[in-house]
Amino acid sequence: MSLLEIKNLHARIGDTEILHGIDLKIDRGEVHAIMGPNGSGKSTLSYVLSGRDGYEVTEGDILLDGESVLEMEADERARAGMFLAFQYPVELPGVGGMAFLRAAVNARLREAGKDEVDQLEFVKMVRAEAKELGIKDDMLKRPVNVGFSGGEKKRYEILQMALLKPSLAVLDETDSGLDVDALKIVSEGVNLLRSAERGMLVITHYQRLLNHIVPDQVHILAGGRIVKSGDKTLALEVEENGYAGLGDAA
Amino acid sequence: MRGLAMQPERLYETWADRKEAAQSYLEAVNWPNGQTEAWKFTSLSHLSDVVLNPPKQSASIARAARLHGEVLNFTAGLAPDLAAASLPADIIATDISADKAICHKAFALLPDNHHLTALSASRQTAAVKIEVVNSAKIDTPLILQFTDGKTDEASHPFVFIDIADGAHLHLAELYEGTSSLSQPLILVRLGQGSTLDHIKLQDEADHTTHLGLTLFRLHGQANVNSFSVSKGSQITRMETHCFFAAPDAQAAISAVYLGCDNQHHDITTVVSHEYADCKSRQLIRGVLDDKARGVFQGRVRVAPDAQRTDGQQMSRALLLSRDAEADAKPELEIFADDVVCSHGATVGELDETLLFYLKSRGIDEAEARTMLIDAFLVDTLEEISYQPFANFLRGQVSGWTARQTGVE
Repeated sequence: MSLLEIKNLHARIGDTEILHGIDLKIDRGEVHAIMGPNGSGKSTLSYVLSGRDGYEVTEGDILLDGESVLEMEADERARAGMFLAFQYPVELPGVGGMAFLRAAVNARLREAGKDEVDQLEFVKMVRAEAKELGIKDDMLKRPVNVGFSGGEKKRYEILQMALLKPSLAVLDETDSGLDVDALKIVSEGVNLLRSAERGMLVITHYQRLLNHIVPDQVHILAGGRIVKSGDKTLALEVEENGYAGLGDAA
Repeated sequence: MRGLAMQPERLYETWADRKEAAQSYLEAVNWPNGQTEAWKFTSLSHLSDVVLNPPKQSASIARAARLHGEVLNFTAGLAPDLAAASLPADIIATDISADKAICHKAFALLPDNHHLTALSASRQTAAVKIEVVNSAKIDTPLILQFTDGKTDEASHPFVFIDIADGAHLHLAELYEGTSSLSQPLILVRLGQGSTLDHIKLQDEADHTTHLGLTLFRLHGQANVNSFSVSKGSQITRMETHCFFAAPDAQAAISAVYLGCDNQHHDITTVVSHEYADCKSRQLIRGVLDDKARGVFQGRVRVAPDAQRTDGQQMSRALLLSRDAEADAKPELEIFADDVVCSHGATVGELDETLLFYLKSRGIDEAEARTMLIDAFLVDTLEEISYQPFANFLRGQVSGWTARQTGVE
């Protein structure tokens, strides 16, 4: 059974259909990349997968470990093992970083029927993970994402992923707004989290991210459909020739 | 007319004159029904066809408080048993209901032609004077607690607190009464260089109308840190006035109102800068659910001589329901030229993007909403300088949020 199976997925926002029938399978241990031009439906796909309100699935199904998630709220999907790293992580003034991380981890633990994590132990755990990602203690004390630079926000997303240990991670344009150094740090963080137990879907406009996070498979999304799939060389092809020719192939 | 006629006036020779004037004022005005500017958003017309009586209880009964301190319990609006109270040596409490000369002097410090002071002058059910003497720094909080009362009763207690020069007091007003109408009037005179940490919690029974007025009169270098929370009652009008009677004093008077069902919470503030170099700061936050309505009216007056005044005011309301409503009416009357004054008012809803972010981390809807509502209120509660008061009100506020969101 695949970790994630997307079957003939059609979705719309309001009256506008954005996804016109997507099929995709990701197994545990695999990293898939979705590349596509602006407006191809990349972000819509990430929101539909994670269950954001306002995105309506009109046809098809999304199966996580063989179970349909369509009837599940965003928080239920997260507790079932899905994680979305945001393209633009939001600032939460007044919400303490540690309290937020702990609420998220505890929600996951409760779902699994385990005891909630002890506060002191949790702080130690967060500090250890944060160190790996070059996140300073000062950042952990601030309200969520408030006053963080673009690179810090992305690192904070990866920290959350490390703590929540999802079975499926969806990374929505993780490279956007990052300079070369930040891109490297974030990618290293993601690579550390690659495992035989976890699948990843890396959504990106540019090939450069895939130099750092090397995918097993690459899919080209255009006009709300996957128009071509291949191995990592497909990304290089896009880099060389652009999306135009591939879009026509659809 | 100068502001809300905050200056001492000398129209009345005696208390009897004052009481008579108050009664004729009330007969003329009856209950405000939205016709006057001061009561534009809050109507009391529901009180015009009910007959309310003075409390029938013969004496006040002692009740424990939810907050640590020395408690004076005003049962159904009656004066506490002062002989039985174990107050610190430097606090002197006196029943002044029979001493109309003191009441008369005290009322000269209150606004005239004002519905709440007129009501109090006309219908007082208790009158107590509390003095903090000898420049004493009182560690134990003094708690004025207002409990009990019947549905056909009205409670009109008056408390005059006189804090000596250089003294310090922690004062809490806790309202948990059950009389249909409660109308407490608290006058606090802060002597030169004195300081006051003050909180007010309005958590009365659902059917009640609460019309509270607390007035601080500050002398030179005095400092008050006041915070009010309104969450009980059916209809609330909570007025806090701050009158700077000398230069170089400071006041922080902030408030939170929490409305649900079809509650009405009106927070009205009047800050009068009469002298130079005083500083006032107000942060007001409201959270409204169901069909609740919230009102904030904030007047800041800066007299011609009150140069270098610093007056800040900010109000924000958060609507949790489409049927909730918030109104804000900031009023700045500035007659001096060298001042720094600001005000602002916003009304908003919970941000769907922020909710989705929290939910995408596995945090359920109720907990996510709780986190965002608490976040909306948290910086306001940080205004409270005395930690035991801050902890107490934080508990009251988060308890309300948890109940509204269903996390409890």
